[in-house]
Amino acid sequence: MIRQMLAVDGVMAVCSFKDDGTFVEGYGVMGDDQLHALSHFAHDYKRIVQGNADQMSMFTGCNGFTPPTGWIVRGSGMTVCSVANTVCIVDNQEGNLDEVLKELKEAAHF
Amino acid sequence: MALAAELINQPGVIAAGEYSYRGDRFSYKGEMNDDMAKMAAIMCRATTMSEHMQVNMLESFCPNCGSTPPQGWIVRGPGFTVCNLGNVFAFVKNDTGTLNGLMKLMRERIGIVDSSLV
Amino acid sequence: MADLDQLMNLAGAEAAFTMSSRGELKESKIVDGSRINKTALDLLAHMCIANMSIATMQARGWETQSDAQGFYPIEGFTLVGMDWSAVTNGRVGVILNNNVADYEAANAALAAAGGAA
Repeated sequence: MIRQMLAVDGVMAVCSFKDDGTFVEGYGVMGDDQLHALSHFAHDYKRIVQGNADQMSMFTGCNGFTPPTGWIVRGSGMTVCSVANTVCIVDNQEGNLDEVLKELKEAAHF
Repeated sequence: MALAAELINQPGVIAAGEYSYRGDRFSYKGEMNDDMAKMAAIMCRATTMSEHMQVNMLESFCPNCGSTPPQGWIVRGPGFTVCNLGNVFAFVKNDTGTLNGLMKLMRERIGIVDSSLV
Repeated sequence: MADLDQLMNLAGAEAAFTMSSRGELKESKIVDGSRINKTALDLLAHMCIANMSIATMQARGWETQSDAQGFYPIEGFTLVGMDWSAVTNGRVGVILNNNVADYEAANAALAAAGGAA
């Protein structure tokens, strides 16, 4: 199912991983090592974002931050997006983040 | 918990505690109420998780350079410092100048932190 | 400008460096034969700045929720690695061998070198 993400404009690679960080599958214009590294990074980053969202919620007393649905890190040329246990890399010139996130939510929860 | 009790008796330490890496338990001693101690444990755990990820990335740029497994971190504010080794934390007053002694004691009691537990 | 030579005089100093507010490595000195290289130092600098930002958020939240003051603004972050510790204060940092690391002396030297003050 996540392989279909590659049909979305701008998506260069997509991976999924288990809750314990184990790599499940990955596709795209990257080598296996890089796909594993992307999945590892996304798993770590997910835990960090969860930790920060917990703190935001704790300090502000506002609902709605937790649990975080996902995260986006935008670089000058590429953007990394993740929802649940799925992560993809998007070319900023080619992709539309709204579309990518919509598809990513579906793929992640399939 | 025994270590927290020992740490709280060190000069300048106002609170000390321990949290589980899973985030489901914590214990503490010192000048804090339960809510603040829970907050401290959540903050320390989040920073420790983050540190482990960052140091793993650092290791890939500098293999076997002595960074991994990360043992802990220290954050210094103008009046207080927070020390964390493994899953144990202590809040200490800066003006007592006992950071070195505290770090030494924590190292002795905790030993080498095992990254696989995080 | 920070006096990195002064920081390299600290017991067990392996490296000393300054960084920009974004964490980019500016000046650095590394002791001959060290396992630490400039690439690692640059990443380390980014890491310390990132953690100071997180700690600043935590200190702000903590002081808002309690009567406790004295945490904000964050002055420095130290990574205690397996063999060495990277002690930073503001935009200046030093890496010390854990066996002889004197954190108090490092903080004083970093503050004197420009640190957060």
